[in-house]
Amino acid sequence: MLTLTRVSRRYGDTVALDGVNFTVPENTYMSLLGASGAGKTTLLRLIAGFEEPDRGEIAINGERIDGQPSHLRDIGFVFQNFALFPHLSVSENVAFGLRHRTHDALKNETEIKDRTEAALELVGLTGFGHRAVSAISGGQRQRVALARTLVCEPRIVLLDEPLGALDANLRARMCDELKAIRERLGVSFLHVTGSETEALTMGDKVAVLADGKIMQSDTPDLLFNQPMNAEAARHLNAWNIFDAGLCGAGQGQIAVRFDQIDVCAEGQVPEGRLTLGAKYLTGEFNGPTALSFFRADDGTLLQIIDHLSQPRLPQLDEGARYALHFAPDALRQFHGAA
Amino acid sequence: MSTLTTETPDTPALSPAQLRERKDRRRALGLLTPGLVWMALFMVLPMAMVIYVSFWTQTTFSVNSTLTTASWERFLSSATYLGAIWTTLRIWAIVLVATIVVGYPVALFIGLFVRNKTLQTALLVACVIPFWTSFLIRVIAWRPMLGTEGAINMILMKLGIIHEPLTFLLFSEFSVLVGMTQIYCVFMVGPITFMLGRIDVSVIEAARDLGASFGTIFRRIILPLSLPGVMVGSIFVSVMVLGEFATAASLSGRKTNLLGNIIVSQVGSLKWAFAAVAGVVLTIIITAVIALALRLVDLRKEM
Repeated sequence: MLTLTRVSRRYGDTVALDGVNFTVPENTYMSLLGASGAGKTTLLRLIAGFEEPDRGEIAINGERIDGQPSHLRDIGFVFQNFALFPHLSVSENVAFGLRHRTHDALKNETEIKDRTEAALELVGLTGFGHRAVSAISGGQRQRVALARTLVCEPRIVLLDEPLGALDANLRARMCDELKAIRERLGVSFLHVTGSETEALTMGDKVAVLADGKIMQSDTPDLLFNQPMNAEAARHLNAWNIFDAGLCGAGQGQIAVRFDQIDVCAEGQVPEGRLTLGAKYLTGEFNGPTALSFFRADDGTLLQIIDHLSQPRLPQLDEGARYALHFAPDALRQFHGAA
Repeated sequence: MSTLTTETPDTPALSPAQLRERKDRRRALGLLTPGLVWMALFMVLPMAMVIYVSFWTQTTFSVNSTLTTASWERFLSSATYLGAIWTTLRIWAIVLVATIVVGYPVALFIGLFVRNKTLQTALLVACVIPFWTSFLIRVIAWRPMLGTEGAINMILMKLGIIHEPLTFLLFSEFSVLVGMTQIYCVFMVGPITFMLGRIDVSVIEAARDLGASFGTIFRRIILPLSLPGVMVGSIFVSVMVLGEFATAASLSGRKTNLLGNIIVSQVGSLKWAFAAVAGVVLTIIITAVIALALRLVDLRKEM
C-alpha cells in the first residue's frame, strides 16, 4: 500500500502539489485524472524519487520512502516518451534493471535471459529481443518500456500518460492489455492520465487531482454518478455545473449530468421539474451521440447529450430560447468551495 | 470560352515526377560544384604535386624534376627523422588522452548537469574565450607561467614545497604537452558537450528507476551515448596536433622536433623534395588515424 500524507511541492511561486493525501491500495489499478499542469507528473516524480517533496510523507506499507535515493526505492516508472536506451537492443533494454541494479543484481546470464524472455512474452513481444529500439513501432516501444519496468518486479508501477503517444486504435488495445497484465502480476498500477474515459475504463479506483489536491478518490461508477465537489464533476466531462439561482433551487453551485436534462419550448415544462431558460447555440454530431450547446442567462455554457437510439430533444433552432428541465433528484448540490 | 480537351498531347512530355527528379539533380550538382572545384584545385592537385615533388632530385640549393627515390631513402634511414615520427605520435597520443581527461568532465558538467540552454551556451562560449587572442600569444603566455622564475615555480617555492626551481617545466616536452592540451582541449569539449546535451534526461531517470547507481549509469548509458562526441573531438584534436609545429617551436626550446617542425625547417632551407617526403608521411599518418577513429565508432549510425 502506497500512502501519501500531506505532500506538498512548489516550484518558485507556483504550487504544484498542496497537501496531497492519497492512498493506492494493494493489488489495485488506480487511475489519477487531472488536467494538464495539475501536478500529476510531479506527483509521480515525487513517488519515484526523481524529486523530493517540500513537506509531507510518502510511505510504502508504512515504511517511509521519501528521502531515499530513487534507485533504491524499488518503484517502477513507465515514461510517457518511453525513455528507452537508444544504444541497446530490445532485450538489453529489458535486462538492464536485472543486470545493473544496485541491490540484488543478477549475475547468472541464463536467468537474465529467461526472465527477459518471460517479460517480453508477457507484453506480447516474443522474438523481438534482438531488434534495435529504433527499428520497432511506437506501440512496441511502449511494450518494451513496460516489460523493462515489470521484469524488476517493483512494489508499485507508475505510468505517466502511458497511452498518450499512441494512436487511438492502439490505445484501446493497450488499455485492455495493461489491465490484463496487471491482474496477472497482482502488483498495483498508478496510471496518470488527462482523459476521463481512459481513467474510468482502466481504474479499479479513480482519483481526481486538481489545484494540487486530490478532490475525490472512488470507484469509477461512484465517482461518475456522485462527484463530491464541483472540481471532480468538472473533470468527468459529463456534468453541467451552474449557479443554483438559475433554476430557483437555492444558492451555491449545482451540477446536472449532460444526459439528464430535457428540452422543450418555453412555457411547456412538465409538472414537478426544475427548469431554466437558455439559448440554443449549436449542435455537435459525434456518431452514436449528439451534443447540444446552450447558453444560460448568466453566460454559463450548458451541454446536453442525446443518444441516437433514444432521441429526447425536439427540433432546435440556433439562437432561439428554450426551457431546459430536469428531475429534482438529478441535481447534485455542492457545499463549500467551488 | 476555352474548350477542354482530354486528348494527350502529341509530344511526349516528361511526367511531373521526372521533372522534379531532374530539378533535384541539378540543384544537388549546383550545391556541390563550388566545393568540388575548390577541393580539386587546392587539395587534390597540390597533394598530387607534393607526392610528385617528393621524388624529385634534391641538390644543396636547387631541386630538379629528375625522378629519384633518394629523398625517401634518406628520410626512412635517418634516425633523426624516424625519431621525429615517433615524437609526433607520442605527443599526439599524450595530448589526445590529456584533452579527453581534462575535457570530458567539463563537457559532462556543461552538457548534462547544466540543463539551462542559455547557461550551456554561455559556458561553451567561455571555453572559447582564450581564442579571442592570437595563437602565438596563447602559446607564449605559458612562458611566464612555466619558466624557472615563472608563476608556478614562485608559488611552489613560497609555499616551501620546493627549494630549487623546477627546470623541466619550460623548454621541454612537458611544456609542449601542457600548451597543446590547453589550446586543443576546447575542440574536445565542444563535440562531447553536444552529444551529452542530446541525451534525454528521462533516459537517465529511467536507468535510475531501474536501480542503477550513478557510476553504473555513467558506464552503461552516458559514456556509450557520448562516444561519437569523443570520436569527433579526437579527430579534431588529432588532425591539429599531428600537423602542429608552432607550439613545439616556441615552448620546447627547439628540443622537440615534430614532423611539422621538420617540414618548416626543410622548406626554410629550400629543400623542397625533402619537405615533400615529410609532408606525404604526415598525410599518411593523419589519414590512418582518422580511418582508425571512424572504424571504432560508426558515426553515421550514432549521430
